[in-house]
Amino acid sequence: MSNAARLEDRRLITGHGRFTADWQLPGQLHAAVVRSDRAHAVIERLDCAAAAKVAGVVAVLTQADIEAAGINPMPGGLSFTGKNGQAMKKPAWPVLAKSHVHFVGQAIAVVIAESASVALDAALLVQIDYRELPAVISFEDALHGGAAQLHAEVPGNLAFEYEDGDERAVANAFATAKYVSRVTAICQRLVGNPMEPRACAAAYDGATDIYTVYTPTQGINGIRNALAQIVNVAKEKVRIVAEDVGGSFGIRSPAYPEHIVCIHAAKRFSRPVKWVGSRTESFVSDNHGRALSLTVELAMNADERFLAIRFDNAADIGAYATSFGAWIGTRNLTVTMGGVYRIPAMYAQSRIAYTNATPVSVYRGAGRPDIAFAIERLVDHAAAEHGFDPVALRRKNFIPCAAMPYKTSNGTTYGCGDFAAVLDDALARADWSSFASRRSRSKGAGKLRGIGIATYLEASGGGAAPKDQVEARWDKTGNVTVYTLAHSSGQGHETTFARIVAGALGMPIERVHVREGDPDVTLVGSGTGGSRSLLGAGSACKVLAENIVGVARTYAARLLEVTESELRYASGRFETHDRSLSIADLAVRLAALTPHPFNLIGEGSFGVTFPNGCHVAEVEIDPQTGRVAVLRHTVVDDSGNVISPNLVEGQIQGGVVQGAGQVLGEQAIYDRHSGQFLSASFMDYPMPKAGIVRSFQLFEHPVPTATNALGAKGVGEAGTSGSIPAMTNAVLDALRPLGVKNIELPATPAVIWNAMARAAQAARVLEQPV
Amino acid sequence: MAKVAMKVNGKQMSGDVEDRTLLVDFIRDTLALTGTHIGCDTSQCGACTIQLNGRAVKSCTMLAAQAEGADIMTIEGLAQGDKLHPVQQAFTECHALQCGFCTPGMIMASVGLLKDTPKPTDEEIYHGLEGNLCRCTGYINIVKAVKRASQLMAG
Repeated sequence: MSNAARLEDRRLITGHGRFTADWQLPGQLHAAVVRSDRAHAVIERLDCAAAAKVAGVVAVLTQADIEAAGINPMPGGLSFTGKNGQAMKKPAWPVLAKSHVHFVGQAIAVVIAESASVALDAALLVQIDYRELPAVISFEDALHGGAAQLHAEVPGNLAFEYEDGDERAVANAFATAKYVSRVTAICQRLVGNPMEPRACAAAYDGATDIYTVYTPTQGINGIRNALAQIVNVAKEKVRIVAEDVGGSFGIRSPAYPEHIVCIHAAKRFSRPVKWVGSRTESFVSDNHGRALSLTVELAMNADERFLAIRFDNAADIGAYATSFGAWIGTRNLTVTMGGVYRIPAMYAQSRIAYTNATPVSVYRGAGRPDIAFAIERLVDHAAAEHGFDPVALRRKNFIPCAAMPYKTSNGTTYGCGDFAAVLDDALARADWSSFASRRSRSKGAGKLRGIGIATYLEASGGGAAPKDQVEARWDKTGNVTVYTLAHSSGQGHETTFARIVAGALGMPIERVHVREGDPDVTLVGSGTGGSRSLLGAGSACKVLAENIVGVARTYAARLLEVTESELRYASGRFETHDRSLSIADLAVRLAALTPHPFNLIGEGSFGVTFPNGCHVAEVEIDPQTGRVAVLRHTVVDDSGNVISPNLVEGQIQGGVVQGAGQVLGEQAIYDRHSGQFLSASFMDYPMPKAGIVRSFQLFEHPVPTATNALGAKGVGEAGTSGSIPAMTNAVLDALRPLGVKNIELPATPAVIWNAMARAAQAARVLEQPV
Repeated sequence: MAKVAMKVNGKQMSGDVEDRTLLVDFIRDTLALTGTHIGCDTSQCGACTIQLNGRAVKSCTMLAAQAEGADIMTIEGLAQGDKLHPVQQAFTECHALQCGFCTPGMIMASVGLLKDTPKPTDEEIYHGLEGNLCRCTGYINIVKAVKRASQLMAG
C-alpha cells in the first residue's frame, strides 16, 4: 500500500494533459451540430441551402447522407427477455433525425466547415419547419391512457416489462406479516456532467482504409466495436486514440451520433473532422442518468424479522434505447435485490417507458445506488413507522458473516462480507451514541439536526469481455511498459497498476509505465465501468508479474549456475546461499534478446465482487430557509484489499459528493407540456460546489474476496450507493419531529421549506377542536 | 479581424483574431496553450481560469482584444522550470485531482485566492472556489490542498 502522489499528476497540474479537444489534426475540418429545439415533432421541411452557401462551409450532412453511406442506426436494447418471454420493443434511433424528432437536443444536421466558428454560424442558418406533437416527459405521463404515441412500434410507450423473484411466495409472506411498510424512492433524472465536454475527431487513411477516432472513452475496445458495427466496417478498420479523459461516470461508454458523423465525413471529404461539444450540448445530448422510481414494500413478523420485500419499479429511459439504458431499471436493480439483509422471499417487477427526454444510460452506479436508496429508505421508514430502533432493526436482519457464502432467495451468491462489524465500526466512528447532545446544541442555535444511516451492498466487476489481459513490453534499459484496456478518467490506473507490477517485481515504480488506450494493442479485456478496473485489469497485472517471475527464475538459475529449486525469491530478488540477482538487473541483461523474454501477458477471468459498507450522515437544516448543510459524513467500507488508500479515498469522496448533489439539488427538469429542458446549464443545474460536504472520513474494513488475484472489491461507485440513502435518512431524521415522513429528492431549500410548512399546517388542523 | 499582443508566461505573444474571439480561444487555438480548458459556455465552471495582470480571471469572460497589452500567466507558466508552484505541489500531495480537467483552473483560482487570503479558513476557501466546478473529487482534497499550499507558501 502506498499513499505517494500519482504518476499521472505532473502532466495534469502543469497543463500538459492531452484531452480530446486539445488534438489539432493537420488539415482538419470542424463540425457543428444542428439540434432539435422541440421535444416531439414531425420535420416537415429541412432546408440546408443557406447554410451550405456560407463561405468556408464544405457540406451540411443529414440522415440522407448517413443512409446513403450504408450506416446503421444507433445500437441499443437488451440481451434478455422479460415478463412472459417478451422482448424489449426497440425503435430505430437514426444517427441524425429523419422525419421525426423525439427530444430536445436530438441531432438533425451537421455542418462541416473550415473553422469551428464558421460551422457554428452556418448551423444557425439551417431552417427547419416542425409540426409539433404533444410531448410526454415523465414515466406516468407516457403510460397514461391517451398519451402521445412516440414510436409506432411501441404501443402505449411501454418498452418492456420485467420481473424477477417469486411473486407468490412474497404474496403469501405479506398475507401473514405482522408489520408492513411501504415507501417510494424516486431517483430523479440527472446529468452526468463530467467536466470535459464530449468531443471527438476522426481521420481516414485511404491507403489502409482505416479510420482513426480520437475520443474520450472508458475503454477503446467497447467503443471501437460499437463504431465499427454502426459504420459497417470490420473492427480492425477502426483505431481509437484516447489519452486523458476528463471524467466519465458512465456517459463515455457508448457511441454517440457525433462519432458517426465525424467518421463518415472524414472519409467523404478526405480530411480529419473534429467536433467539440459545448456544455449546453452535453446537457441535452449526453445520455442522462437515473430517471427511475422504486416503490418498495417490506413484510415483517412479530419479531421484526424481514419476511419479504416487493418492488414495483418505473423507469423512464428517454426517447430511444441506449445500449445500457434498460438494464438500469431491471437486472442492475435485482441482482442485489435484498441488499445486506436476509429476506426469504423477494419479488420485483419493472416497467420501462419511452418519453420525449434525452436517452438514459449508465451513470455512477446505474441501478445500484437506486436499489440501495430504496431499501435503506424503506428500513428507516419501517423503523419510524412501527417504533423500532433503526440500528437494531438492521442488525437483526443482516446476513450474518457466518452464513457466507450466502445465496440470496433470488439466486445471487455473495462470497463474503461482515455487515454487522462494518455497522458497529461506522457507529463508533461517527459518534452515533452521542448524537443527542449535538442535536440539542443545534436546537439551541435554532437549527434542526439529523443523523442518518445506510448500509449498502452492490455487485461490481462484471465485464463484457470473457477475460482481462494486460501485456508487458520491456525496453533495452530494463524499463517495462504495461498495456491495458482499462481506461482511466481520473481513477489513477497509471499509478495503481504500476504499483502492483513494481511491487510484485521489486522494482522502482519509475521503471514501470502503464499505457492505456494504445490503439494498436490486440488484447482481450473489458474497459472501465461497473467499478471493475482494479479487480479485472489490476488482477491481471498481478498475474503478469507472477508470470514474469516464473520466466525470470529460469534465467536467474542459469546465470547463477544453480537449479531453479535452489533459488529463493523475495521482493524482486533471486537468492542463493551466497549470491543474488534482481529482476530489474536481469531485465537489463536480457534486453539484447528479441523479443525480450519478459514480454508476457497476464490474464484471468475475475468474477463479480460485492463491495459493501455503512455510511453515517449528519446534517443541519436551517428552518428559516430550508437549507441543508452536510456537516459530517462517515464511511466504513469493505472494498476488500486496497492498493492505493489515497486513491480509494478519493473515489469514495467523489462518489459521496455526487450522491450529495443528487440528494440536495441536481435535477434535469423538463416542462411537462412543451418538453423543453429547463435546467440545461450550470446556471440552472446546481452542481455540487466546494463545501457541500464539510467533513468526511473513510475507514476501511476489508474482507478480502477470493474471486480475483488481489482480493479487491469495486470502489468506483460505492460512494454514491451509500451516501444517497444516508443523507436522505439524515434529512428526514431532522424533519421527523415536525411530522415530515418522506420527501422527494432533490431536497432543495424550497422542497424542505414546503415539507415543513405542510407538516405544520397538518399539525394545526389536528389541534383544532372537533 | 484584429491584431492582439500580450505577454503570456513571460513572453511577448501576438496573433490575428476575429473581433469576437474569446481570450480562452486565443490562448488555446492561436497560442496552442491547451492547458487552459473550456468546461462550459456560461462562465460557471472556472476551467479556463488564468492570471491576468496578477488576478485570477475566467478567460471565457473576456475578448482576446480586451487583453491587449495585458500580462497573462496560464497553467503552463506557473512552475519555475522543474520546480512546481506550491499550489501545484499541494494539489499532487493531497490527491486533489482525479481526471485533471478542472485542475488547471482550480489551481489558478487557488493561486488567486491565496494571494488575497494567505491563510484562508474553510469558509473562505469554499467562497473563493465557488466559481470552479470539479466533478471527481468532491472538493474535500482540494480544500486540503489549498490549506497545504498556504502552509508551503508561508515557508
